[in-house]
Amino acid sequence: MGFLDNSGDIILDAVLTDLGRKRLAEGNGRFSVAKFALGDDEIDYGLYDKNATGGTPYYDISILQTPVLEAFTNNMSSMKSRLMTYSETDLLYLPVIKINNDGESALNASIGTYVVLVDETTVNYLKNSNTELVAGLLNGNEPQKGVKYIQTDQGLDTTALPSNTVIPPNLLESQYFIQIDNRLGFLYPGTGGTNAESAYTATTIDDDSIASYVFTKTGGDSVITEINGADSAIQGPAGTKVTFKIAASLSLRTSTYLFTQLGTPGNVDIVCGSNTLTAASYRFIDSTVRVSGISTGYTLDIPVRFVKKNP
Amino acid sequence: MATSFKTFNSDKDAVVTRNLLHEAIPVTGTIVSGTYADNNIKNYSHGMFQSVYDYPFLSSSANHIFDLTCGYAATSSLSGTSATHVQNAKKINIYNQMAQVLAGFDANGAIRRFDEDGDLTIGPKINEAYFINLTRLLSKDEIKKGSFSLSLGVGPLYSTPWANILTITDKSGSEGYKVNSPAGEYGILYATGSESFIDETKVDSLGYAKVGLLYYQAGIVVLSASAFGSLLDTPVSMSRIEGAGLHPSASVTAVLSGSAISGNCDDMRHRFQNVSFNNTTELNSTVYFCRVNNTDFNYSSNPTYLSSSQIVVKTNAGDIPVSYVTTVGLYSPDNELLAVAKLSEPLKKDPATEFTIRVRLDY
Repeated sequence: MGFLDNSGDIILDAVLTDLGRKRLAEGNGRFSVAKFALGDDEIDYGLYDKNATGGTPYYDISILQTPVLEAFTNNMSSMKSRLMTYSETDLLYLPVIKINNDGESALNASIGTYVVLVDETTVNYLKNSNTELVAGLLNGNEPQKGVKYIQTDQGLDTTALPSNTVIPPNLLESQYFIQIDNRLGFLYPGTGGTNAESAYTATTIDDDSIASYVFTKTGGDSVITEINGADSAIQGPAGTKVTFKIAASLSLRTSTYLFTQLGTPGNVDIVCGSNTLTAASYRFIDSTVRVSGISTGYTLDIPVRFVKKNP
Repeated sequence: MATSFKTFNSDKDAVVTRNLLHEAIPVTGTIVSGTYADNNIKNYSHGMFQSVYDYPFLSSSANHIFDLTCGYAATSSLSGTSATHVQNAKKINIYNQMAQVLAGFDANGAIRRFDEDGDLTIGPKINEAYFINLTRLLSKDEIKKGSFSLSLGVGPLYSTPWANILTITDKSGSEGYKVNSPAGEYGILYATGSESFIDETKVDSLGYAKVGLLYYQAGIVVLSASAFGSLLDTPVSMSRIEGAGLHPSASVTAVLSGSAISGNCDDMRHRFQNVSFNNTTELNSTVYFCRVNNTDFNYSSNPTYLSSSQIVVKTNAGDIPVSYVTTVGLYSPDNELLAVAKLSEPLKKDPATEFTIRVRLDY
């Protein structure tokens, strides 16, 4: 995409997204614009210079000169960071969402992502009956048998506020979007679950096969819970945590097609106790799982690597 | 409660509008005949018409700009079955096809012939015609009335067509068009030129003669063969080999009956100097008024907005929050992004400002 001409008056470059066009084509009334949001994807607030000589008008000179890209038609590529409305104007801290990189929810230390082992062969190669998968390795074949999961923590991540302070209600996130490439995997409860039927059902799946799951704190599932105790990635007042596992899609479990199409040969050994899946013996697909707080707007992209041992 | 969405008020925040967009379309005759040595002309084995492209048609850069064909009515004096009548049936078929689509049928179900002045009940008919079918790429929703101009070279000799220039327009088309066609509105085409080569008995007091019809929505020009023949003091020689060879007589009537449709189209293109018109695109738009009040959207969820959870544009809690808008997203009730609008430059938002952003979606 090119940049928009910013030499004159402010203009708007508006396009339908691919999902918008799809819904328009469906002709069943699903193309209905009901609300709007504002985004600032291009803005780097680090350029806001509170020490600029000349005073307030010069603080944001660099930001206001930021060139703006033309609109993307891919609905997943736009509006990644949205502007927020809070009734208060005196907020100094806002909540963030962080990966809880500790214990059963830790990232794989050597790769720096969560590794989803997609089939029984891969899982069994790294794990035997006496060992459990190490941190960061998720059993994507039978997630109910794995103890590792993904956890994100939400809250005010600052040492300026004591961690035992209660987070203000308007900064407490109680509803989340989680998005994952539906071709690769789907969401599974972080704890519990007995079989494949325990998996969560996506709320929507868009034209790019991105599945969106919506969870609410009062929704009856165990995905969102309030953070209690010290095992949190948040340094200050903590809000809620989200826990889930990832189950590999049927396609990844039973076929090498997507690994051939989208994947790459392994480039680092995957170690689990005394077992090692050498780089030459597997292929992987890197993807992300996006966790977004619906009311606080913060978005976190979690790196996920789907791994399948070569036949 | 924090939120990143603002719901539209369906009564006030969305309005549907209709706009007409015009583009000026000039087609120079050298494209039609000359520049590309006819590599931009596609003939078909069926021989019913000829397609003209703006670039050699084997190139992916080529655009189809119009089709040419010709024909005459079954009752035309040119109609016949002798050996000198080439593609007689196809020419009649073409005429009838165009006539039934553009002129329709009479009370008895018979195909109407093209009428010179648009009064279907009386008056002379256009029995022999060339048809220029402009593609939708050029004509879009319709040709703007009163904007059409076609220059034809009607010099008597084939080798010097530009010795005389006949200018054909749909003058007064914006107010004098007809509505009795099943294919939409149409205007009368008038030819004008120097008295030195136009038969003065054929023109009105202002020097104009009726030579065809222009169907605005269909984007079709019906050009009477009289533009090359009876309208002129000296009818033109349509044939490449003048007076001999291809046709004993090179008059337009002789070529129309004695030459194939593709040959007629070639001869027509040879005398095609320029055509220009304005097309019209009807834009139906919905304008969404995104009303941003002073208390709205003063914070951001941008990862760079926070450093250790602290808002980077603030030093103290009492400082006013500031954010910058670069994008407007339009969402469905289930929070799916349906449309995106980008501002050409960041727009500062703080509690001391409010604005309305108009987002227009065209269909």
